[in-house]
Amino acid sequence: MSDVPAVEVKNLVKDFKGALREKKVRAVKDVSLQIAPGEVYGLIGPNGSGKSTTMKAVLGLVGPTSGSTSIFGRNSLKVDSRNEVGFLPENPYFYKHLTAAETVRFYGKLCGMRGRKLKERIGELLELVGLQDARDRPLKGFSKGMLQRIGLAQAMVQDPRLLVLDEPTAGVDPTGSRQIRDLILELKNRGITVFLCSHLLEQVQQVCDRVGIIHQGVLVNEGRLDELISVENRTEIILENASENLLDQIRSLVDVTYKAEMVSEGNARTTLEDLFLRETMSDAKGKAVSK
Amino acid sequence: MSRRASTSFFSLRRILIVAQSTVTQLVRMKVFYFLAPVALLFVGIQFFDLIWYQGAETLEPEQELRMHKNICLGTMMVFSSMFGIVATALLIPGDIEDRTLYTILCKPVPRLDYLVGKLVGVVAVIFIAMVVMDVLLVTTLHFRTEGKLVEATQYMKKVGYPEVDLAAGRAEIAAHGPTLILQYGVMAHFLKASVIAAVALLISTFSTSTIFTIATSSMIWIIGSFQSVAREGLFNDPTSGGDPNMAERIVNTFVSLVFPDFKLFESIADGAVRAENVLQADMIQLGGLTAIYVGIYVVLSWFVFSDKEF
Repeated sequence: MSDVPAVEVKNLVKDFKGALREKKVRAVKDVSLQIAPGEVYGLIGPNGSGKSTTMKAVLGLVGPTSGSTSIFGRNSLKVDSRNEVGFLPENPYFYKHLTAAETVRFYGKLCGMRGRKLKERIGELLELVGLQDARDRPLKGFSKGMLQRIGLAQAMVQDPRLLVLDEPTAGVDPTGSRQIRDLILELKNRGITVFLCSHLLEQVQQVCDRVGIIHQGVLVNEGRLDELISVENRTEIILENASENLLDQIRSLVDVTYKAEMVSEGNARTTLEDLFLRETMSDAKGKAVSK
Repeated sequence: MSRRASTSFFSLRRILIVAQSTVTQLVRMKVFYFLAPVALLFVGIQFFDLIWYQGAETLEPEQELRMHKNICLGTMMVFSSMFGIVATALLIPGDIEDRTLYTILCKPVPRLDYLVGKLVGVVAVIFIAMVVMDVLLVTTLHFRTEGKLVEATQYMKKVGYPEVDLAAGRAEIAAHGPTLILQYGVMAHFLKASVIAAVALLISTFSTSTIFTIATSSMIWIIGSFQSVAREGLFNDPTSGGDPNMAERIVNTFVSLVFPDFKLFESIADGAVRAENVLQADMIQLGGLTAIYVGIYVVLSWFVFSDKEF
């Protein structure tokens, strides 16, 4: 694998001019980060913290006040760098007069694709995002989740090495959200680098290798996810089919061990998302069976 | 190292892709519906004579044809110019507001290609609309000219005009029919609408709203139509008895550079209405002038748009 980082942000500073007599606003303050090829990186932070500005700088939609951004070693401000990147903006809108297939075709053509290769790619992508049944429907009738999925399809049309996703599951129902999450994991397995922003921290936790936390324009913490969220002096053991006798023995051992303390104990819990999916998917299956 | 070839600075193919998408967008927005009232108007004026027209005995049937051409060419001019302004003003700010532009500019698409593609798309739709209106004009004018020819011939024969005068009279009426010069007039309005669309493109690159773009472009359209008359009145006043002074020259030059001068476009269209002899050289000059104006406005648009942040 190449040593060139998929994304490199070096001392990025971005100021926005205020209105008349208003001071300029510094949205990003000396942010530096690197994303290795094949990595899934999550940038998290509250609203207005500078996440989207950093992303836009990486994509060349805004120019840095100082510092630099590059994609696979190419300056983000150069058009060439966009050959390798696909972008899904937050709440994406596309030309509503186009159908799903026409939308992907339009973006594919912009990337220089044509002919049979493009035709096959359109079918492949619509199937991947689960929109093959809606391929000839105009986008004006699409739900938010469907727009998000067509957004993903257009982002991936030229088979980019880097995907930049701004709130990829915003407004999407839990089933769609899970599909997008699974898709990100699949892309990761294929070696595609993913740079994403999300408010859904649980999802970030599930898919990201590394995260950066940005607050008031400053990257306040960054690192491998498992390192960042592990509590050093605590250990979690999850047992299955443990007898009461075994649990008693463990409690006794904890009691006699110096400084060790049982913090909590109880049945392991599933997540609300898993519960929702289990119930809704089984309902769908049940209906299908009854038909 | 990149797997893909570098992106060219300017690509005709990409421009055509954006232009094709723009045409599809405008067509699906049902913009051609405006042709229905235009068709009604063009057909409707067939049945109206000038109120002072007293019949073939006045020997001025060409006035009828002139009126016909005047109304039709005027309608084509207003529709094409307004369409150029409104369509251009809606498309780019619309792409910015909807964030469609994000996804386009995040593909390997230079901003110049996007701008030129949008303009080409709008101009292509204007061209299609002009062709449809031109076909309507030529068809209705043909029937009206034929009617006037029959009417005038019958009258002149009845009065006993010699054959030479009869032929001259018929030729004069026919000159006001659907001729090549009329096509020059239609072409002049098309070229004018293209320049106006380029002006709207420039304004939409820095404008913050569609309304501002439409209002400012319309103002430039009006100023451009009257600026040469105004400049002549202001700076070449014969009562002042001499050449304009330096300040006047500077203002004169500034106005003529900032605002397009539509006098040449109008004079060719007016010549077509009056069936005057419009030279091919005039059309070539007009084409050149259009190319210069459009080129300047596109370069200025690119200059503004290339550093625009979204």
